[in-house]
Amino acid sequence: MRCLNKDFSAGIIRFNPIFILLLGLCPALAVSTSLDNAIGMTAAATFVLLGSNIIIAVIRQYVPKQVRIPVFIVIIATLVTIVDLLLQGFAPALSAALGIFIPLIVVNCMILGRAEAFASKQGVSRSIMDALGVGIGFGWALALISLIRQLLGTGSLSFFGQQLLTIPGLVEEPAIIFLFPMGAFFVVGLLLALFKWLEAKK
Amino acid sequence: MIKRSRGSFTILFFLTLIVFLSVVSLFLTDDLTEERIAFARQAAIKRMLTALFPEMEIYDYDDQLRVYKIFATGKWIGQVFMVRASGYGGPIDIMVGLEPDYSLRGIRILSHRETPGLGDRITEAAFLDRFVGLTVQQIALTRDGGKIEGITAATISVRAVVDKVREAIIAKIDKEK
Repeated sequence: MRCLNKDFSAGIIRFNPIFILLLGLCPALAVSTSLDNAIGMTAAATFVLLGSNIIIAVIRQYVPKQVRIPVFIVIIATLVTIVDLLLQGFAPALSAALGIFIPLIVVNCMILGRAEAFASKQGVSRSIMDALGVGIGFGWALALISLIRQLLGTGSLSFFGQQLLTIPGLVEEPAIIFLFPMGAFFVVGLLLALFKWLEAKK
Repeated sequence: MIKRSRGSFTILFFLTLIVFLSVVSLFLTDDLTEERIAFARQAAIKRMLTALFPEMEIYDYDDQLRVYKIFATGKWIGQVFMVRASGYGGPIDIMVGLEPDYSLRGIRILSHRETPGLGDRITEAAFLDRFVGLTVQQIALTRDGGKIEGITAATISVRAVVDKVREAIIAKIDKEK
């Protein structure tokens, strides 16, 4: 039990996928333009991560080690397509909201990274906890990046159509650069520096 | 821990097996969802037709002209047809609603693959509303002499939609008038 708790909490801060492991950076840069996107991406990615971690933990003893990476990729890609089809068929509203993120999950190296580094070595229950922990870690990191980019890039903060706050002065002349990819690099780079600094100070 | 290293036959067999299982599960999922996806798409089309023509009572799909004819109180009040533009991330399916005099009732985006947060703003009401009531000459970006204001950081997506809608209406008028 202690072990499971540790697997769960590790992904949230100590081995945060984005800020510490530097995994899943390309979807993080691509969709962190608004809070809604961050949450949509997190939900979709966590679901696929959970599925792939479980399957890979189950079959880990049978996978020949020379071809493990292609096997993982086939499993992840299959899972992503299944999720996409199921959402389109059974939850069209959710699919309309998440649809554009789903193809991005295939290129999320966080999922392949966890398959290789964790699920292919540990049992099913530990892999589930790892997936949930890493999912949450991915979520808050993405939310933090989006928060900064949305605030500076649009001068306001909205959450599923609800206007939360606006910054007077900035909302008329927002720093649009933060919505562009280079703005994403600025924000992620500075946050990475901050987390490295905090780590070094400890 | 994966440590066993095996002969090439086992490896080949395992890879084939995994791909086979993947194909089977994809086939089954597709079979399971195909009908529901078509149904959901139909429901989405109906929702968009109603959004364009709130007074719509019935609609009828004309196979030959490939348009949805919209009727209310027994009268023909407009038509909606679909065009596909190629955007930044892939095809954009647009539904174009026309009044009987070929002026624009409005447009809706049925599906797209534009960048979240940038290009996908073409689906927002703030952008779609800019098309309402325009004549075919006015359907162009302001910088091209039209009446539609673009979206910052989404130029490719916006231009794809605007240009395609204009071209499609011109083609339609040429054919029917």
